[in-house]
Amino acid sequence: MSAVSLDAGAKRSVRRMATERLKNPALLLIPAVAFLSFIYLLPLIDLIRISFSGPTWLGYFQRVFAVPLYWESLVRTMQISVTVSFLCLLFGYPTALLIHRSRGIVRILVTTAIVLPYFIAILIRTYAWMVLLGRNGPLNKMLVSLGILSEPAQLLFNRGTVLLGMTAVLLPLMVLSIYSSVARLDQGLTRAALASGAGPIAVFWRVVLPLTLPGIGAGVLLVFVAAIGFFITPTLLGGPGDQMFAMHITQQADSVTSEGFLQALGVVLLVITLAVVAVAGRFMGLEFIWGGRKLDDTPKMAGPATSVGRSRRGIGSIVADLIGWPLLRLSGHLPAGFGKWTVRLMGGAVVAVLILPIIVVMIISFSSASYLTFPPPGFSLRWYEQFFSDSNWMRAFWTSLMVATVSACLAVALGTSAALGVVRSNIRGKSAIMLLLVSPIIVPPVVLGLSLYSLFLRLDLVGSVFGLAAAHAIGGLPIVVVILSAALQGVDPKLEQAASVHGASSLTVFRLVTLPAIAPGLAAATFFAFLHSFDELVLTLFLSSAELKTLPLMLWGDINYRLNPVLAVVSTLEVLLVVGGLILARPVLATSKKTA
Amino acid sequence: MGEPVALRSSDAAVRTSQHVRPHERDVIGSSIAVRDAVKRYGNFSAVDQISLDIEPGEFITLLGPSGSGKTTLLNLLAGFQQLDHGQILVDGKPVQDVPTHKRGFGMVFQSYALFPNMTVSQNVAFPLRMAGVGRSTTDRRVAETLEIMRLSEHAMKSPSQMSGGQQQRVAIARAIVMRPKVVLMDEPLSALDRRLRESIQIEIRDLHQTIGSTILFVTHDQGEALTMSDRIAVMDAGKIVQIGRPLEIYRRPTNRFVASFVGESNLLDVEVLQKRGTTITVKSRAGYVFNAESRDTIEQSKATVLVRPERIVVSNEATANSAPVTVTSAIFLGEILRIQAQMAGGDELLIRCTDTVSRPLPEIGDRLHVGWGAEDCWVLS
Repeated sequence: MSAVSLDAGAKRSVRRMATERLKNPALLLIPAVAFLSFIYLLPLIDLIRISFSGPTWLGYFQRVFAVPLYWESLVRTMQISVTVSFLCLLFGYPTALLIHRSRGIVRILVTTAIVLPYFIAILIRTYAWMVLLGRNGPLNKMLVSLGILSEPAQLLFNRGTVLLGMTAVLLPLMVLSIYSSVARLDQGLTRAALASGAGPIAVFWRVVLPLTLPGIGAGVLLVFVAAIGFFITPTLLGGPGDQMFAMHITQQADSVTSEGFLQALGVVLLVITLAVVAVAGRFMGLEFIWGGRKLDDTPKMAGPATSVGRSRRGIGSIVADLIGWPLLRLSGHLPAGFGKWTVRLMGGAVVAVLILPIIVVMIISFSSASYLTFPPPGFSLRWYEQFFSDSNWMRAFWTSLMVATVSACLAVALGTSAALGVVRSNIRGKSAIMLLLVSPIIVPPVVLGLSLYSLFLRLDLVGSVFGLAAAHAIGGLPIVVVILSAALQGVDPKLEQAASVHGASSLTVFRLVTLPAIAPGLAAATFFAFLHSFDELVLTLFLSSAELKTLPLMLWGDINYRLNPVLAVVSTLEVLLVVGGLILARPVLATSKKTA
Repeated sequence: MGEPVALRSSDAAVRTSQHVRPHERDVIGSSIAVRDAVKRYGNFSAVDQISLDIEPGEFITLLGPSGSGKTTLLNLLAGFQQLDHGQILVDGKPVQDVPTHKRGFGMVFQSYALFPNMTVSQNVAFPLRMAGVGRSTTDRRVAETLEIMRLSEHAMKSPSQMSGGQQQRVAIARAIVMRPKVVLMDEPLSALDRRLRESIQIEIRDLHQTIGSTILFVTHDQGEALTMSDRIAVMDAGKIVQIGRPLEIYRRPTNRFVASFVGESNLLDVEVLQKRGTTITVKSRAGYVFNAESRDTIEQSKATVLVRPERIVVSNEATANSAPVTVTSAIFLGEILRIQAQMAGGDELLIRCTDTVSRPLPEIGDRLHVGWGAEDCWVLS
């Protein structure tokens, strides 16, 4: 009797343990990790495997570094990326300060001018520059009417436009990264420095700059890593002498004979990117990738990290003394208000450079002319009519809508579950899992597309809506995870405890307490995941077929052979979509800014 | 047992006497004069036509509730904000057009505002470096100042490794390292717990004796203001409502606001019966007649009088000049009893009296007899 009851008790406790296990939040990580392993990690590993499958195992790599075409292109890519990072920093820092210092309506306008372009497709922003700088574009018109040029000049297709275009495209990333650091600055510190006798420039050099170095580091790294893998902007704005490394990969992808060598090119790009990220991560922690703070499972890291910080501070202050003092002495002779005006002028220039091309394109979409010209000779809706009556454009539009919807659903489902797992579980190696989840952000899209292409060929997924949507979800997932884990960290665990103490089951707690609290974040994440897929071009170039044409793909095709105002119509519609989404997501952005 | 204690206290005495060396006391603070200062935000006047004269080397406290304009006034002095109207003179020279970093003040902030990218000694050295003081002088002055603030062993630490009290002492060290003629302190102790606050209050007062700077201290804590200041300026709604020595502010407040903001108070509305110079006879609502003191001769027939809770004499039997009250609550606070009682006519009285073994704790509903002398009863103007 007693033995039987003991047995039953043991069984019950086993069952209880099993259900306890099932309640472990770490399980929520499984779907996303499995998804990424299959569609993201495996293809990359396969890519690396093929790249080593040459006659000798380093054979393909020897060819990459032996042929001057590729070698020189690699050097050029580095030069361009370094220059772009530097330019972004130079103009981005004053802009971040401008946002921080301005108030009221000015601040809203400047912030919008930075955030809006950040969410508009790179393809469209590059197209806007082509319009702005084109033979019939406003800049040429202005230069001719001012008498500086006698006839419209070719301003496009040179190194200068590549640098300008890439800097403009990547500037918002830099500004937002630095701003998050600047906004965290305690205003009391500036006052304390002033009260201690430091002039405005000394305050900047001694206090503001050192304390915003993390933001600068993250911004420079993100911009640099993005620039290395850049493909769209240099292709459209560059001349024959401005071939960047990613462009070679897409060109080689068209020829069948380059199997193996092609993969080697991809691996070179991937390894450089990862090496840069790893070195940077060693210094500032890999959290810069997702713009977050350290997750709370790494107490062991704290010891060495602070010692590294201290030795770096030593070097930093030596540099500051050697270079800083003479500069400070010189700057003492500058007129008062110099810093303030520098910030205003440079920030103003950045706002103009980011916003003007978009406005020009929006105006041109209402042009009555049959070719691109600015200012338009008259206004009409003819290009809108043409867009909405053209069956090819409409089919592409519906395809994009479908792909983006499926992709967003997939990314949100996997990402929400993963974010819950990351925030709520206490398993070891949480940072590593977070790193896996967000790493697709830093892998050059060209490399990702290349690696996915062979997987899709094998599974006969090329040209399928679901396949493309899944591929887009690789990039959508990190967005969802980052937004939702921030939202979840903002939910007071006491609220959930209060609900369960008063009798709510864990599912009810989620439905009644957690979900309403993260609902704005969820809405924003859904929108951004949708937008990511809707705008995606590079993966689509590899993975779609003649039957499956998305909107960006149609744009890409048209930009390459005729620049007509229909593209301006598509761009305008995209801008409206982003504006609508941002208004929708405003509460989330506002709160995340507050916590930052 | 007693010996080590005695040793330590004599040790402390030696140390203090060392610090008050004559050559260090020759830093004498600046005089500050504020003339008709006005600072508006839209229609709201944060500082409303304030005039204030501060003597060289004085420790003056701006005391007021939040929103009374005390921090705005301090920010105007520091130069973080600009006057809309009026003048600020330091040693007779107008400073409103001098930028903050050229005013040469020291300042301590509520949030400490220590530079997290610098060590303790780098933080303290900051003002010296900004002034272009040479390295050896800087090192010596930093070491001296850290010694005064008893921080020498923390010199190489990062501020984030220190406790709140230590951080605030670093902030004070940074504010005084230049031996400034004026030190501004913006609620420097409000983030600390009570015990620590009291010990740093004493430290700051001793420091003031040592360095002789003019100190302008902002607080909303009336106890702190009474403990530390040479003079207190009580502020309300952008104006200074009374300025004077702590004792005077406490005993002789000029109006209801000061009386109730500084210390605990009983304010009774009374009818004036008779005036003999500054001593007047008044009658409470319950008909209790007593004498009170006022600053000037008064004209009106109604007045408000202040009786501090600790000045009320309590007895169990009626005496001459006493009034009966009913106890509504009695709380034992340790060394004192805090009794609330109601007079006939509805006036509420708060009474604080020392706990004595002979008297049992009164219970609710008990009848007691209270009284006070004319000198303990102050007529508000």
